[in-house]
Amino acid sequence: MKPFRFGVQVSQVGSASEWRDKARKLEDLGFSTLFMPDHFGQELAPLPAIAMAAAHTTTLRVGSLVFDNDYKHPAILAKEAATIDLLSDGRLELGLGAGWMRTDYDQLGLPYDPPAVRVDRFEEALHVIKQCFTGEQFTYHGEHYRITDYASWPEPVQQPRPPLLIGGGGKRVLSIAAREADIVGINPNLRAGEIGLEAAKDSLREQTDRKVQWIRDAAGDRIDEIEIQMRFFITSVRPDRMKLAEALAPTFGVSPEEALESGAALVGTEDEIAEQLHRRREKWGLSYVVVGDDNVDEFAPIVAKLAGT
Amino acid sequence: MHDRRFRFGVACSKGRSRQEFTELARKAESLGYSTLFVPDHFVDHDLAPTVALAHAAAVTDDLRVGTFVLGNDYKHPVVLARELATLDLLSDGRLELGIGAGWMTADYEKAGIPLDRPGVRIARLAEAITIIKGLFAPGPFTFHGEHYRVTDLDGMPKPVQQPVPFFVGGGAPKILALAAREAQIVGVNANLRSGDGTSPDAARSMTPEATDQKIGWVRDAARDRFDDLELQALVGFVYVTDDAKRILEGIADAFGVSVDDARVAPPCLVGTEDEIVASLEERRERWQMSYHVIDDGSIDTFAPIVARLAGK
Repeated sequence: MKPFRFGVQVSQVGSASEWRDKARKLEDLGFSTLFMPDHFGQELAPLPAIAMAAAHTTTLRVGSLVFDNDYKHPAILAKEAATIDLLSDGRLELGLGAGWMRTDYDQLGLPYDPPAVRVDRFEEALHVIKQCFTGEQFTYHGEHYRITDYASWPEPVQQPRPPLLIGGGGKRVLSIAAREADIVGINPNLRAGEIGLEAAKDSLREQTDRKVQWIRDAAGDRIDEIEIQMRFFITSVRPDRMKLAEALAPTFGVSPEEALESGAALVGTEDEIAEQLHRRREKWGLSYVVVGDDNVDEFAPIVAKLAGT
Repeated sequence: MHDRRFRFGVACSKGRSRQEFTELARKAESLGYSTLFVPDHFVDHDLAPTVALAHAAAVTDDLRVGTFVLGNDYKHPVVLARELATLDLLSDGRLELGIGAGWMTADYEKAGIPLDRPGVRIARLAEAITIIKGLFAPGPFTFHGEHYRVTDLDGMPKPVQQPVPFFVGGGAPKILALAAREAQIVGVNANLRSGDGTSPDAARSMTPEATDQKIGWVRDAARDRFDDLELQALVGFVYVTDDAKRILEGIADAFGVSVDDARVAPPCLVGTEDEIVASLEERRERWQMSYHVIDDGSIDTFAPIVARLAGK
């Protein structure tokens, strides 16, 4: 069983000093990792922002949740990732995904290929990135990428590579994650191209059970090396959790009790949440808990209690 | 109108660790250099520029940070715009945005990126600059060009500097004309049509007469913008020495140019401190060139000259 650790996903920042203070605060509160998403709405660009967060701190880990593979050539991303790892003294967690948010593609004028094509391309990119991290010269002529006699530089500080985080909600991506990644993120299935009702329903307990099974099946012996991560979108530290559950239940089309057990929800008193996390770790192997920027203060006591245990 | 005061940049080729790169950035700042530049190639041992500059900005207070220069073909301009705006925001407005059409053949071949002919690459760069500027400006932006299609996108975040200084460099008429129209900082560089920065062709394009001609192209294209432009040179050969003759003969021999040409060529600063200071003043007089970038290997030897001229 892996010890608990906690991450925060931050997407917006007002200024340089606010960003520095935020990074240092997360470090002080015992959060393990600052994550940034990779979209073209209100979000900052993750790379320079996490590079700066790492520059302002000494132990905080920094990561992407997650880089969309279709926005950049994998050799470029690998070089950028290795540079962050070098300049942070080995604190990068490299989250990668096949891409899903429809609006991003439309606004950028990028073709939104069928999922199977995006995932094929993603698998090739994973291969390229892993090769880049070795620092050895390699050639790879795939369907989507053509690399010839290339040796990437710098080599990352973390060897053999910065932890790879792959998240998904469908069987194929979760199976790839189980075989290739160090951290597997269990997400709602985002085949609809947006976070909506379909995604919310796909995070219920039964669906999560099934995803965990896919991961176990594909991981085989690797399962003990993998950290299981979830990003909780419905989070609230509060005494009367049933009241919130009753409000949520109709949306999910389930009972209030079932709504609370959803893989997207983390609601209750500090003790209730701690107990719930223990149960989920027992059942799903979930040890890496990611919450939103708004939850930092209310989750701080839970982090203090559980991180590293 | 640009005041033509001298300022100096350092082009980073080092940075083998957090500590080394952090020290380089702080040293550049404390020695009075204006800007730390990071290049953008796959094949050289360069750090990834947007990441490295973010780090450099975070560990300094006033140092400006610049890309030197981004190869436009490596990333989609919307992706670039967002990274650069983030960098400008989180550095409190210290970005200098250097971007070029891409030229290093080896980069393209190794990464499997198609290397189009120069005219196409420059046309694509022009579109990319339009897109980046459009995304930096307030409100949603749409652009349907030959090469890119951006639809109804409000670029976020917005940079602190309005405008962010663009830096475009080159050695041939088309690219210098684009620089003259679009950039705040124009780099007067070698002609890199050969795809190799150390070729005789590149060297011959850097003689004083060739530089006169380039400045003419910039002036013609810039029209009434010319006085607002800041002109920059990359000085790859810095030797503070009592024996300039010997060094210049070596350079002249290696690149197939005359000793007199080597003495005045923008990429060379060879001589005593006084001679170099005089030469920089001559170059400013002759070409309005006031912004000089040296390699980080020369950061210490060149520092006394920075101390004498920066801001003057």
